[in-house]
This record gives sequence, C-alpha cells and structure tokens, in this order.
Amino acid sequence: MELRPRVLVTKIGLDGHDRGARVVAACLRDAGMEVVYTPPWQDIPAVVKLAIEEDIDVIGISSLATDHLIVPALIEALRAAGAGDVAVIVGGIVPDEEVPALIEAGVAQVFHPGAPLARIADFVRSAAARVRATRFPDAR
Amino acid sequence: MTRLSQEVHTASPAPGADPAARQSAEDASRLREAAERWRAEYAASVGAQPDAVNRSGIAIEPLYVPADAPPSFLDRIGYPGQPPYTRGIYATMHRGRSWSQRQLVGLGTPADYNARLRRLIEGGTTAVSLIPCNSVFRGFDMNEVPAELLGTCGTVVDTVEHLETCLDGLDLARTSVALNDPLPFTLLAFLIVAAERRGLDPACLAGTSNQSDYLSHCVANHMFFRLSLPGSRRVLLDEIAFCMGRMPRWNTLSVVGQHMQQAGATPAQAMAFTLSSAIQYARDCIARGMRPDEFLPRFTFFFDVSISFFEEIAKFRAGRRLWTRIARDTLGARDARAWRFKFHAQTSGVDLTRAQPLNNIARVAVQAMAGIFGGLQSLHTDAWDEALSTPGPAGARIAVATQNILREEARLTDVIDPLGGSWYVEQLTDRMEAEIERTLAIVEDAGGMYRAVEAGLVQRMIGESARRFQEHIESGEQVCVGVNAWREPDEGQTHLAQPRPDPARMRSHLESFRRWKAGRPAAAVSRALDDLTRAAHDDTANTFEQVVAAARSGCTHGEICARLRRELGTGQPLAMI
Amino acid sequence: MPHPDRLAAILAGERTALARAISMLENDARGAAALRAALRGRCGRAHVLGITGAPGAGKSTLIGALLGAFLGRGLKVAVAAVDPSSPVSGGALLGDRIRMGSHAGHENCFIRSLSARGQLGGLSASTGAVVDLLDAAGFDTVIVETVGAGQSEVDLARLADTRVVLCPPGLGDEVQALKAGILELADLLVVSKADHPLAGRTAAELRDMLALRRHGGAHPGAGTWQPRVLEVDAAAGTGLEALLEAIEEHRRAIGCGRRLQAREAEADTADTAALCARLAARDPFVTSLGGEFAGARPGAAEVALAIRAQHLNFNGTCHGGVIFALADTAFGLASNSRGRLAAGIDAHVTYHSAVHEGERLLARAREISRSRKLAVYRVDVERADGTLVAAFTGTVFITGAHPAGEGTSSRSAGGA
Ligand SMILES: Nc1nc2c(ncn2[C@@H]2O[C@H](COP(=O)(O)OP(=O)(O)O)[C@@H](O)[C@H]2O)c(=O)[nH]1
Ligand SMILES: [Mg+2]
Repeated sequence: MELRPRVLVTKIGLDGHDRGARVVAACLRDAGMEVVYTPPWQDIPAVVKLAIEEDIDVIGISSLATDHLIVPALIEALRAAGAGDVAVIVGGIVPDEEVPALIEAGVAQVFHPGAPLARIADFVRSAAARVRATRFPDAR
Repeated sequence: MTRLSQEVHTASPAPGADPAARQSAEDASRLREAAERWRAEYAASVGAQPDAVNRSGIAIEPLYVPADAPPSFLDRIGYPGQPPYTRGIYATMHRGRSWSQRQLVGLGTPADYNARLRRLIEGGTTAVSLIPCNSVFRGFDMNEVPAELLGTCGTVVDTVEHLETCLDGLDLARTSVALNDPLPFTLLAFLIVAAERRGLDPACLAGTSNQSDYLSHCVANHMFFRLSLPGSRRVLLDEIAFCMGRMPRWNTLSVVGQHMQQAGATPAQAMAFTLSSAIQYARDCIARGMRPDEFLPRFTFFFDVSISFFEEIAKFRAGRRLWTRIARDTLGARDARAWRFKFHAQTSGVDLTRAQPLNNIARVAVQAMAGIFGGLQSLHTDAWDEALSTPGPAGARIAVATQNILREEARLTDVIDPLGGSWYVEQLTDRMEAEIERTLAIVEDAGGMYRAVEAGLVQRMIGESARRFQEHIESGEQVCVGVNAWREPDEGQTHLAQPRPDPARMRSHLESFRRWKAGRPAAAVSRALDDLTRAAHDDTANTFEQVVAAARSGCTHGEICARLRRELGTGQPLAMI
Repeated sequence: MPHPDRLAAILAGERTALARAISMLENDARGAAALRAALRGRCGRAHVLGITGAPGAGKSTLIGALLGAFLGRGLKVAVAAVDPSSPVSGGALLGDRIRMGSHAGHENCFIRSLSARGQLGGLSASTGAVVDLLDAAGFDTVIVETVGAGQSEVDLARLADTRVVLCPPGLGDEVQALKAGILELADLLVVSKADHPLAGRTAAELRDMLALRRHGGAHPGAGTWQPRVLEVDAAAGTGLEALLEAIEEHRRAIGCGRRLQAREAEADTADTAALCARLAARDPFVTSLGGEFAGARPGAAEVALAIRAQHLNFNGTCHGGVIFALADTAFGLASNSRGRLAAGIDAHVTYHSAVHEGERLLARAREISRSRKLAVYRVDVERADGTLVAAFTGTVFITGAHPAGEGTSSRSAGGA
C-alpha cells in the first residue's frame, strides 16, 4: 500500500522571487510526490489552513530575502492548530548563524543554494514517510 | 591624442564580409566622414588627454578600427557614439567618463540610512540610491507586516518625513537620486514634496525611478508587483506624463531585464523581453499623445550580467544595435538621444555559490568585465557574501574595490569597445541579435508584451529556460566550481552576516510612526485619498498627480498603495510551473 | 467501521479528521472500505456541482467566483479539485487552489486537491467516495473540478447533481470536438472568458448544437431539464448571477440526490461490500477456517484470519494450505464482486515468511486485469505491521451467469 507523500511548496512573508520554489516543486513532482504549489506572499493562517485541509506531510518554505525570520511563527501556528507534526523545511538564503535558531524552533532542515535536488527530494520523502506513519499507524 | 588608429590596427575585416568586394569611392568617403566625426566628438569631450601607454611602452589608442573596412562596417558596427551604436552610445565611452558606481544599501531606520549617507556625502558623492525595506516594496506601511521583517532588506520609508530624515544634509539640486520605487511611485512623490518643503522647484531633481517596469515585476512574481496589470499600465503612463512636463531631468522609466534573467530567462530572452517591454511602453505613451523624441530619452534599461562572459558582451552589443533600429524605425524617433541605449547593470547573484564563497569574488570580477566590455553606463557589483545572507560591510567594500581594480589597475577602460572586430565577438553579436529578434517576433505575434505577459506566454518561456538550466547544473553539463565540480571536503566555514537592524530602534521607529499617524489632520488625509479614488476612475485625471497631492496632505505610503489596490486591483501573481 | 470518535469528528466536519479521511480514501488505506460503508446512508443532503472542461478552460477561476457567491450567502462549501498526474512519475503538481483566490481562507470553505493518479477521464478512483464524505460532513455545496476527457460521462453522472461543462471561447472545430465528448452530459454549458471576442460566437454555436440535439433524442439522466448555454467572465464577474440562478433552478428541478440515484443502478462500492459479506457468510469452508470478511469494492476484497493452534503444521508454524485458503477466499470474493459469476481456473502462491500462532493475517485481493471472459487477481497476505507473508496470483473464467441466489459457491473461484 502506497501513501504518496503530500508536500506544500510555498513562500510566506514579503519576497516574491519564486524561481527556486518552482524548480523544487517540479522536482518533487518528478520524484513521484503530490505537490501543492502556491503563489508567493501567503500569510501564516492561510498556510496552516491549507496544510490541514490538504493533509500535508511536509511544508517547504522558500526564502531568499529574510522571510525565514517568520518561520518560527509559522511553526507556532501549526502547533496551535494541532498540525505540529507537519515537517517544515526551509530552502534559500539563510545566514549560517541563524540556522540554529530555526532548528531550535522546530525546522526539520535548512537547504542552502546549491543543494542537489536529489538530496532535497530524498529528505522530503523520508520526512513525509515518518509523518504518514504516525498519522496512519495501521495503514499498512 | 589625435591620430586615428588606422596605422596601428590589428583587427581584421568584419565577419560576413566578402574580401573580394571593392569599396566604392563613395564607401570610402562615408568611412572617412564617420571617422572624422568620431575624432571631432571625441576630442571635443575628452580634450587633451595624455596618451595611455602600457607597461611595454606602447601607446594605447582610444579606439581601434579595421584598415580595410567593408561597406557593411558602418551599418553593422560603425563608430562609438554613432548609430547603430554597436560599439557604445558615446564617442568617448569609459575613456571620457567612467560608469557610475551605485552601491548604497541601507538597512534599518531612516536615521540609520542617513548615518551611512553622510559618510558618502563627505566622500563627495554625486549619486545616491535608496533601497527601501521589503514591506515598502510590497506596498504596506510598517505596522501592516510581521515586525520581524522590518528593515531587514532595506530602509523603512513610509512618509515624507521619513524620506526627509534619510536625505537630510544632501544637496537635492546637485545629486542624482536613484529610487527603487515601483508604481504608484510614492517615494518620488515624497521626494517632490520634500523638495518643495525646502523651497526647491521639483524641476531641479535629477535621478531615476528604478523598478517602474511593472511588466517585469509581473513576469517574475516580484514583490514590486503591487497593482493589477491594467491599473499598473494606467499609473505608469500618468507618472511619465507628469514628469514630461515638470521634471525634465528625471528618468521616468527604467526597463528591466534583470528580474527576468534572474527568474531564469536566457540572456537573449532577457534582452528580447526587455526590448519588447520598451516597445510596449513607448506605444502606450504614443497612444496617450506623447512624442517619442520627448519621452524616449528618459527611458533607461537595467540588466543582469551573468558569468557567461562573451554571451553577455554580445547581448549588450546586439541590444544596443537593435534598440537604435527600434527607436528610429519602429517608433519613429528623430532625435538621436532617443536611439541611445543607456543601461545600468548588476552582476548576477544567481551565479554566486554558497560553497567556497570566496570564489564569488572572481565570479563578480568576470561578470563586471563582461558588463564593462558590453558598454554599460552604470554598474552594481554584488558582494561575494550575497549568496550567504544580506551582505556585510566587508563584502560590500570588496565589491566596490573590484570595480576600481578593473578600471584603474587593469585599465579596461583605455580602449573603447576593445573586443569589437574580434571574429568571435562580432559573429556572436550577430547570432545573439538574430536570436533576440526571433523572440521579439514571438512576443509581437502574441500581440505585444502586455498581452504576452497577461496570457502567461513570457512566464512559460522563462520557466522552461530555468528548468533547462537547472537540469544542466544537475547533470554537470554546466560546471559550477565548488558545487558540481572541484568540490573541497571542508566547507564548514561560517560567515558573519550583516547584523539585523537593532530591534529597539526599529520598535521606537514604529511607535513614533503610530504617534505621528494619530496626530495628523485626519480630514485632510481622507479627502486626499478620496481624490485619489476619483482620479482612479476618471480617465482624464492623472493619478500620479493625486499621489503627490496625497503625500503633501500627509498620507502614508501604505495608505496610498491600499487605496489604489482597492480602486485599480491588486497585482496577482500568475503562478505556473 | 472507523473509530466512533473519528467518525463523529468527520461527520461534524472537523477539518483535520476530514482531511485524514480523504487521504485514507485516496490511498485506499486500511479502513477505507469500512469508512465507505459507514458513509452510506449519510449522504444526499449536499448539492454536488460538477465543473468539467479542458485544461485552461477556466474551471478553477470560475469555482473561485462561485465560492465567493456561496460563502457570501452563508453556505458551507467544499471543493474537490482533481488535477492530472504526471504519467511518468505518478507525482502531481496540484495548482487549482491557486486560482480559487482568497476564499480558500474562509472558515466555511474546505478545499482539497486530488491527483487523478493516472485515471482516464480525469476522475481519481476515489473521487466519488471523497464527495460522499464531504456531503456527509455537512457541507451545503460540494464542488468537484475535473478535467473531462470523453470517458467520464458515467462517472460524472454518478458524481454530481448538477453538471456544468465549461467551454473556452474558440473556433467551430473545437466545439465540434467537444460535442463528441462531455458536451452530451451537460446540464449547463458555460462559455468561459466571456470577455474574449470569440465568446459570443462560441455560445451561438453551442446553442445551435443543443437545438439539433433536442430533435435527436433524450438527454441521458436529464429528465425534463433542458440544457442551456450561458456566458461568464469569471475574472470580472459578468454573467455570474445568471449562472448562479441557473444552478439553483437545476437544483430545485432535479434535486440534490440525483447522483445517488444514478449510482444505485450499478453495483457500487457499498453494494459490493454487502454482496461479498453475504457470499462470505454462506461459505462453510471460510467459516470453519475462521476467516472474517473485512471489506470489498468492485474488483477488490479483504479477508482477515487470526492464526490459532488448529492452523499450525508439524513444524509449529502456520500451514501453507491455510495461507493459500485465506488468499483464495479473498480472490474468490474479489472476482465475484462485480455481480458476475467467476470460476477459478489457475492459482499460484509464493510464501515469503513463516507465520506463528497468535498472529493476525490480512489477505488483500485486487484486480490486475479483466476482460469479458478472463480476469487476473493479485492477493497480498500481510501481517498487521504490513510485512508480506505470501503473494498469490489467480485467474478466473467469467461464466456470464449471474450468481444464482447470489452465490452457490460450488463453482465460484473461492470454493474451487
Ligand atoms: N479573461 C479571462 N480569463 C480567465 C477567465 N477565467 C479564467 N481565465 C484565465 O484562464 C487561465 C486558466 O484558468 P484556470 O481557472 O486555471 O483554468 P482550469 O485549468 O480550467 O482550471 C488563467 O490564466 C485564468 O486567469 C475569465 O473569465 N476571463
Ligand atoms: Mg484548474
């Protein structure tokens, strides 16, 4: 029985550069995942609602300016809505010294520019499998 | 410096020439005449300059041309400062006047910006630029966005007073100000009001409305895309019309290829889409009753320079040649100033890598060289640490030093268009021109740039190119040193980024903004906003004129943007993969 | 039967429970069959609106506009949007939601993107069940977006009470092509992008075609309803009022339950489950073995067995014949689930690991292929943790006769 990973690729905050988000979304699709893709500038409540309705396992946030600074607020909001089990990853330009704070806040992984797509896909797949296994303990 | 270089030439005939072809006497006289004209113009603006001499003692001419130029030489290549401007838009190019270096990035509050600016003023700067915070770019006031983000990418400027603080101590009549100011051009409105308050006539203001090219914002899903496409079209024309009469030194429009190349367009596509946008804007202006000779000289262009060295040089040379033809033949401009393709270039951040980040210094140098040989008028070099975070001061210093090294140590500017006449460069210029024309035709067939963007055609083409490029990197076909080749085992160095703005200072900026808002004459503000509403629905009114009036009445940036979003529609991204 | 708490949460429209249940149905995960059965009898309250049209026709944009109107009236609205999946990887980019605008954030609105998972006709195999779920969960209106591809007539009729077919403005040829396919089943034909210069002409051509057809014969499943043609510019909102009125009129004329009636004519999932449960109950061998029927849908069945001392061989592990019998039982039910008598003619099993007393096995049979005469099934026998115990393949000959009195087992596959 196959529980196909469901992934959300989105951008929160102010920046709109979405080339990276698009490339990653297409790559995850080609790796066999079901990818919900949104335009940039989503606000946090909208992302939380979407993640719940679409039964999302992994949220990929693309941040090229400084929008990663509000990812902790997103994770907080997910937890408050009972969706704290969603794995959140961040891709883009994040200064090294700000990575620990993100991990501390609950980010599963930070991918910097140049990270091979195959590595991102592998990570997302296994993170999704873990989430699926806890959500559907007796699915298979 | 009076000799022409016929005696010292080393270049060969232009490509495609038939070596057997005999130049007629008429051709010879045309060539002589063009050479004389160039020499006269060059001498007039450069004056008596000492000969440049290289380390071996050889005198370096400002320009080299073929001895046996074929008849096609003048039509395809010619002299700098003469149509088709393949070799540069001025007779002297960088030998006469260097490009402008625009580097200023100010984070934090207006006071923080002013502190940096004062250091520049002491250094005698004549050109400044202002990059506002992303909250401003998105069209919001500082109280409307997550506080964590304020001032992290630029300066928070929401009112006339904020801009006054930023530019305090600056001689507005004598400094060129580049504003990163997407439509509805609130920063320009603030600048006009700030000038008025100092008792200056806005006609004295010189500078550029950067980021006025809404089509490029829409294509790249850029945060600058604030209003719907039809609304944007209207407001841009209003700004151009407003400035045409009153602010003759203001560059109203900067047509941008940068966002599109950053979003994945190939260099040829980026040039083509930019030219298509310029054609669209010009046609819109003409439909509004403006004359090309009036508005075209105030158009400027802005491009990305990638690491693909010769391709970029050829891109710029071909673009210059094409624009001459477009402005003259397609748009009907008679004034030669309208045919000149003035452009600012920024080295491409996309090529910079996080792995082995100091390699980026070399990349930026090569990109900058491509832009210089391509004949740019203004250059921004990225800092090497751009790929890691918002660049710190040390990185910014190296970026500036790179420009100084290329100009003063390497002396890249001694000779105008030094690669002109190279078999490779001339043929590549021709091939790029053909490629650009092919894309121009696709856009034209789709009904012009506005329609092509509205239908998503441009976005799709760029998306495909981005995808292809990424595949080439993943497959290793496109080498990226330190990423897919020449990797080093130990890359665990950490890097010190630009510190985030001081939260306490930002909080007090926010508080004082709130207090200031509460203390305004509310009636005047709401009247001004209602006037804006009326102007938005009245085709005979000028919306930008009302934006300036609203600024005068104390309306904030966010209020003006919100009102126009309501009346003219929000810019909705066309998300597609 | 799902856990009673979970079922209650689903029926109360609780977002997370609903979303998980949809995943369960989509993946046909364990418990899906039971959930389908539990939903039966709880549907029929919602008005289900099917929106069909070629990619790019403007379906999602139109749904965005409809959402605004429905939510504005205080209705609770759910959307199930089916996007085609990549034929190569099976992955999908689900982008419909993007176009539905800001309404996605409304608390009375629930949007779910489904991947077609390679199904022709643009309907994922589980779409019907998902619609039932949303209906049972208390939404007033359920909107289904599908890419029509000619094959889905029947599916769509079972899925929606009101069927809207969207045609982008185009040339006569394209309209002709439409005619051959999904146009036939529209209750409402909507020309999208009415701001386009060709929209009026396209609408006129569609009206001509409808007039021709009225002379030709009845509209399947339409009753007395006369299909009509409307023009809508969803981006600007023009024509939206008229469409809303027409939808309302159709709802009053045809009622909310049409899709359920259309379905009853066939052996649907719940019927299948009931049929198979009866077949299993009447099978003395299965009963004596201790097998428990665990669910079925057309072409698939599940049977469970707790291994006890009587099932062991001399070695102390479960007897191979028991595992074969369990797999063969699921095979028999699956092959007879479509209401046609099927007799086993060949079967083969591979044992992967030993099974001990106290373990619980589940045999899951699914259809690999089915033609008029022959059908092939694959049965996986698994432990509770999902590890594979045995893989079974079987072929049946379809006799063509209806199982007399629903299943004298002497010649059916399961008892062969
Ligand atoms: N001008 C106009 N464009 C529309 C309209 N409806 C949809 N579109 C555009 O058509 C394209 C496809 O729309 P979409 O809703 O995604 O189509 P779908 O694939 O059928 O769901 C998008 O670019 C929409 O903006 C309309 O009523 N008027
Ligand atoms: Mg759609």
